[in-house]
Amino acid sequence: MKEEELLSNKLLDVIESCGVSRRDFLKYSAAMAALFGISEFEFATKVVQAMESASKKPPVIWLEGQDCAGCTISFTQILNPPASSIILDKISLRYHETVMAGAGHLAEKVYHDTVKEGGYVLIVEGSVPSADDRFCMVGGRPFKTILEEAAQKAGAIIAVGACATYGGIPAATPSKGIGLNKALPGKTVINLPTCPVHPDHLAGTVLYFLTTGKVPPLDNVGRPLIYYAESIHDNCRRRAHFDENHFLEDWNDPGQKEWCMLHKGCKGTMTNSDCPIRRWNDGISFCIDCGAPCMGCAQPEFYQEMSPLYTAESIISKRILAMKEAGSFKRENS
Amino acid sequence: MAKKITIDPVTRIEGHLKIEIEVEGDKVKNAWSSGTMARGFEALLQGKDPRDAPFVTSRFCGVCYSVHQLASARALDAAFGAKVPWGGNLIRNLVMGAQYIYDHPLHFYQLSALDYIDIMAIANYNGKDKDLLAVKNKVVNLVKSKDTYPLTPRYKPDGFCVKDPEVVITAFKHYIDAMKMHAHARNMGAIWGGHTPHYQNIVVGGVTSYPDINQVARFRTMLDEQAKFINEVYIPDVLAFGTGPLWELAKMGLGGGHYNYLSYGALEKDPEGKSLVFPPGVIMGLNPANIKVEPFDPQKITESVKYAWYKENKPVHPYQGEQVFDLDKKEAYTFVKAPRYNGKPMEVGPLARMLVAKNPSVLGLVGKGAKPGAVARHAARAIETKLVVDACYQWCDMLLSEMTKPGFKIHDKEHWDPPERGMGAGFYEAPRGALGHWIEVEGKKIKNYQAVVPSTWNASPRDENGVRGQYEESLIGAPVPDPENPINVVRIIRSFDPCLACAIHLIDPKTNEIRKFIIE
Repeated sequence: MKEEELLSNKLLDVIESCGVSRRDFLKYSAAMAALFGISEFEFATKVVQAMESASKKPPVIWLEGQDCAGCTISFTQILNPPASSIILDKISLRYHETVMAGAGHLAEKVYHDTVKEGGYVLIVEGSVPSADDRFCMVGGRPFKTILEEAAQKAGAIIAVGACATYGGIPAATPSKGIGLNKALPGKTVINLPTCPVHPDHLAGTVLYFLTTGKVPPLDNVGRPLIYYAESIHDNCRRRAHFDENHFLEDWNDPGQKEWCMLHKGCKGTMTNSDCPIRRWNDGISFCIDCGAPCMGCAQPEFYQEMSPLYTAESIISKRILAMKEAGSFKRENS
Repeated sequence: MAKKITIDPVTRIEGHLKIEIEVEGDKVKNAWSSGTMARGFEALLQGKDPRDAPFVTSRFCGVCYSVHQLASARALDAAFGAKVPWGGNLIRNLVMGAQYIYDHPLHFYQLSALDYIDIMAIANYNGKDKDLLAVKNKVVNLVKSKDTYPLTPRYKPDGFCVKDPEVVITAFKHYIDAMKMHAHARNMGAIWGGHTPHYQNIVVGGVTSYPDINQVARFRTMLDEQAKFINEVYIPDVLAFGTGPLWELAKMGLGGGHYNYLSYGALEKDPEGKSLVFPPGVIMGLNPANIKVEPFDPQKITESVKYAWYKENKPVHPYQGEQVFDLDKKEAYTFVKAPRYNGKPMEVGPLARMLVAKNPSVLGLVGKGAKPGAVARHAARAIETKLVVDACYQWCDMLLSEMTKPGFKIHDKEHWDPPERGMGAGFYEAPRGALGHWIEVEGKKIKNYQAVVPSTWNASPRDENGVRGQYEESLIGAPVPDPENPINVVRIIRSFDPCLACAIHLIDPKTNEIRKFIIE
């Protein structure tokens, strides 16, 4: 135990020298360790080993296709460890249009040099237009070409947000956006959907890869099981109202404030993500807690089959109603 | 002989933008602004349930998410005949306030500051401040490990870049602090918005988030932290830079443009909307000595698609606007349309708002010799952030008193279902400028949907009369002594805070060949 304490202090010194406070790191590693299914101490040791053994920071290329930069903004939402520390101290962020100092040919040169080097983590935000390459051009070249090129020598590929994973909203536009599942057939892509990506999902996945060198266990649509194994409904605190058929009809009525939003189009029964437990913005809230139905943004069917969003008339909502009618959502013990 | 320079991609902005310039005698002689990505949201919305629109249009942009949701909801409010209860409107204002409070400092520190400081001067800091030494240590370590991404590569610092180690290191410390501050500011919005980016609580007729007193108290406490940062760090930094090392650029009026300014007006301070944080108005051909503000008339807005990749059409009001792509159109060079007011190109954004409002602080700077341009835009942005902070305090108080009234409401339930027919416009002031959404409903579905976003105004191409858009015009005459380092060009463009997520550029219109990004 004593030895462990000594080592622990040494680890924390290393962490602190990287600009992260001890308190923040402990808070973070407790949360992460739980997800990795290992002890906190073991986790901290692994992280520090990975950080010390790497003679240089792992290179990262972040590409933006048909995007809104929302996943980038979401990523900068990380407070523990702070996003500034990740960007400056933990990774070598070679190319990111919204963040990098250089522009034009300077930016393009870094991109090409890094691609030549290989072994980088490739993070992709935004969809790929399938109707015509010219719907998304960067540096004079089709985004599709850039993506295929960057995917060749990537150490890991992570698609962030609804657009890059399965097409999202752009899939329903005339440009016919597609996700990496279709744009990079045959490649292993770690899918982190939701609109936008949850910063913890991204930080945890990157950390998992850098620590273990492996892709985390994925479900059948490429999502890490640690984040997407359970449905919103499984962990929804309004679930009792769903079972009791208390459905919110009036947002003005404090008596209905916690009622189920099935009639307002909630797709939580058919959507897998840990939003209700993890919550968003440092745990402040998430969609359902602000009185808004879950729109199913973690699912490949988002957005087309989730629309109309605010009634129970979408393809998914109709399926939910039929399943409810058939008793599919009855709790085992009830 | 004019030399052509292409900057593609322009980084540290939202979206995909290409800027081409012709340089003659070290000055920009001509300029073209091209948006190089399109999705086609407006076409997507046709035939959809109108209530989808605020959620979907929020995804125009992940930086200024709330503004599209709100402009869209206001267009729907008008088309549905919904009256938003004051309680609902106060919550809309508060989440919008949080948007401004995060967005403006982010633009200054994360997106712009690196154009004005020589970051490597940090290595020469010899002071004793513990916090600043930690920053020095961080940067020195990056340099030692030969890995200074993403702070390099960069355009070579020019004579206007601040090199005083004390100033640069302080600015860079604030760059790091600002990242935490704007994450906290987004958290304020999430109290009612559910998450950021992309609030979830804005719907036609009001909001979905029934507030409790603790939430107001939490918002207020977080607002205190932001107010301190804005008043004691952000505004002093911008003013110290603007009136100090950058005063020459300010006097030169780098990036002036057409000197036409437009504000739709927004952010009600009372239930009737008699008093606004940002008043509406139009200034044509600014005369700083005698500013004449005309009333804003929505009927005078038209959009030209002459040089944009859309099916040819005469300039029309947005209600009649179409979004039919024509990727092979010969003379086109962008997917940004060209909106005009009374036929003229306009600047929208903080500088436009502060001039229309005749803000004394901004007029004071102009009186001292600062010409409206890139530096003035940064100053106007900082000054108006304080106006929003002050308004947020008032809105918190108003919301608390409203919540105690019997029959307190946040939503107009009676107008939740779409009408058979309806038309509505939603005007708003986004952090980047005047924003309008237009909707037409028929058979309870969306018949037509158009949005004219701030960057459509500012980043617009030439119109059918060949008149340049505001980015293009503001580049004319800018000094580019070294074609390898067109730093003034990116300074000007970034001063507008571009947000290009709904625009395009494709291939060379003349040769039909994909153009190279390198300097030609």
